[in-house]
Amino acid sequence: MTTLFLADFSVIKPDFGLIFWTVIIFLVLYAILGKLAWKPIQRALRRRDDEIQTSIDEAKRARAEMQAQADENQRLLIEAREERTRIITEAERQSKEMIAAAKNEAREAAQKVASDARRDIDNMRKAAMVDLKKEVGSMAIEIAEKILQKDLKSDANQEAFVRELVRDLN
Amino acid sequence: MTSIARPLFFCLFSLAFTLVSAQAVNDHGTAGDHGTAGDETDVHQSCDAHGDDYDPAGVILHHIADANEFHVVGDLTIPLPVFLYAPGEGLTTGLSSMFHHGETAVDGYVMNHGRINRLSGAPAELMEGEHAVECIAHTTEMVDGKTRDIYAARINGESYLLDAPSVGDGGLLGGGITSFYDFSITKNVFTMLLAALLLILLWSAVARGYKKNEGKAPTGIQSLMEPFFVFLRDEISIPMIGEKHYERFQPFIMTIFFFVLFCNLLGLIPIFPGSSNVTGNIAVTMALAVISAIVAYIHGNRHYWEHTLWMPGVPAAIKIFILTPVEILGLVIKPFSLMVRLFANITAGHIIILSLISLIFIFGNNGENVIGAGAGAVVGAAFTLFMNCIELLVAFVQAFIFAILSASYIGAAVEDAHHHDEAGHHGEEKIAEGGVMGGAVTGMHTPAN
Repeated sequence: MTTLFLADFSVIKPDFGLIFWTVIIFLVLYAILGKLAWKPIQRALRRRDDEIQTSIDEAKRARAEMQAQADENQRLLIEAREERTRIITEAERQSKEMIAAAKNEAREAAQKVASDARRDIDNMRKAAMVDLKKEVGSMAIEIAEKILQKDLKSDANQEAFVRELVRDLN
Repeated sequence: MTSIARPLFFCLFSLAFTLVSAQAVNDHGTAGDHGTAGDETDVHQSCDAHGDDYDPAGVILHHIADANEFHVVGDLTIPLPVFLYAPGEGLTTGLSSMFHHGETAVDGYVMNHGRINRLSGAPAELMEGEHAVECIAHTTEMVDGKTRDIYAARINGESYLLDAPSVGDGGLLGGGITSFYDFSITKNVFTMLLAALLLILLWSAVARGYKKNEGKAPTGIQSLMEPFFVFLRDEISIPMIGEKHYERFQPFIMTIFFFVLFCNLLGLIPIFPGSSNVTGNIAVTMALAVISAIVAYIHGNRHYWEHTLWMPGVPAAIKIFILTPVEILGLVIKPFSLMVRLFANITAGHIIILSLISLIFIFGNNGENVIGAGAGAVVGAAFTLFMNCIELLVAFVQAFIFAILSASYIGAAVEDAHHHDEAGHHGEEKIAEGGVMGGAVTGMHTPAN
C-alpha cells in the first residue's frame, strides 16, 4: 500500500515541455484576446461610461436650466402681479382724486354762483334802496312844498310854525 | 455566435455540477482498471505480478499526472500528438497511438503508464524503428533513504532501464535532465488549448456584442460576462494598480484570471474534454507565475527598484547585510508563492476527490466485498459531491487570488514615487507582501485542502 508503484508524484516536477507550451499558449492567448476582446471592450466600456457621465451632466445642466427658467417665470409672475396691484391702486387713487377734484370744483362753482347771486341781490337791493330813498326824498319834498305852500299863506300860521320850529330847536 | 457560445457555456458550467455522479462512475471504471485487474497494458505488459493489491496512492498520483494520451473510459483512449527531442538524436514526432499503450517501442521511446519514456543503454538498432515490448518491469530502490521507482522495458528478452522526460527540478525531486525532452501535446497542453479556444470564442462573442450594441444596453452573453470584466477592473486592477496605470494591465489581469479559471474548471470536469489536472501541475503554475513576475519587474520604475535594491534612508550596513538580500529573495518568493499556492490548492482538491473515490475500493476490499463497496460508494459519492462544490469555489477563488496578487505585484512595481502616505496604499503593500488580505483570501479555501 505504501509503495508508489504506478506513478511518482510527477506533478511537482516541472516538465520542460509543459512549461514551454504553457508560455506559448498563454502569450498567444494574451495577444489574441488583447486584440480581439480586451481592447475593444475596454474602449466600449470607457465610451459608455463617458456617455453616461455626459448624459448625467447634461440632465443636471438641463434641470438647472429649467429651474432657472421656472425661477425667472416665477419672478416675472410676481413682478406682473405687483405691477397690476400697483396699477390698480394708482387708478383707484387717481379716480378718487378726480372725483374729489370734480366735487370740489362743483362745490366751488356752486359757491361762486351763489355768492355772485348774493352779491347781485345785494347790489340790486342797494340800488333799489338808493332809488327808494331818492324817490322818498323827492316825494317828501314835494309833500313838504305842498304843505308849506298851503299853511304859510296866513301870517298867523307862519308865526305858529316858526314858534314850533323854534321850540323844537330848544 | 451567441447562439453557439451560450449552450457551450451552459454545458461547461453544468458539467461541473451534473457530472459529479458521472465522475464517481467513471472513476470506478478507471480506478478499477488500475486497481483490481490493472489496465489493459498492465495485464499483458507487467512483468511482475502486482495485480491484486489496490494501491490508492498510485492510482491517485497516476490520475493527477500529465499523460501523453487521453484516457476516456475503459479501452477508449484519444491519441495526442507527440514531439520528442533527444539531444544528438533529433526529433521524433507522431501520434501517441503509435506506441500501442506501451506495447511498441518507437525510436527507443516506450509508453509507460501514459507517459513516454526512453530506453537507456540500449543498442543502437533498438533506438531506430519499431520494436515490440514484452513488458515493463517496475522495481523500487532506496536512494538516500527515499524510495525511487525504477522502470525497465523488456525487449527481445533483455531489460533496459527507462528514462523519464527531462524535468526542471534540478534533480531535487527525483527528476532532472535525462536523455530526452518531451514537447508533446500532452493531456494538460490539450486542455490548455481547449481553454484558450473557449476563451477566444467566448470573449470574441462578447466583444462583438459591444460592436453590435454600441451606445445601447448590453444583451445576451455580453451582459453575462460584462460583470466579470467590470468586477475585475473595479476590484483588482484599479485598487491594486491604481487609476493611473491600470488600463495598461487590465488585459493581462483579465487573461490570467480567465486562463487560470478555465483551466481550473476544465480540471473539474471528470470526463474527456476536462479531467486533466492543468493548474495542479507545477510546470503550468510556474510558467504563469514567472510570466506575472516578469510583467511586474519589467514595468518596475526607478522608484520601485531603488526601494527594492537600495532602500533610501537606511544605514548602508543594514542595506547590504539585511535589507537588499531580503528584498532580492522577495523578488523570487513572490512568484514562488503564486506558483505553489495555485498548484497546491488544485492538486490537493483533486487528491481529496480521488481519495474519496478510492474509499469504494478500500471498503469493498478490492472487489471482494460488495456491501462494503456499496457503503463506500454512498459515503464516497456524498463527500465527493461536497468536495466538488468546494472545488468549484476554489477554482474561482484561486483564479481571483492569482489575478489579485499578480496585480498587486504589478501595482507595487509601477507605483509612482511620493505616493507613500496616501490612504489605501498601505493596504496594497500588505497584499503585495502576502499580508492581511492575502492571508484572508487564502484562508478562505483552507478547508478545501
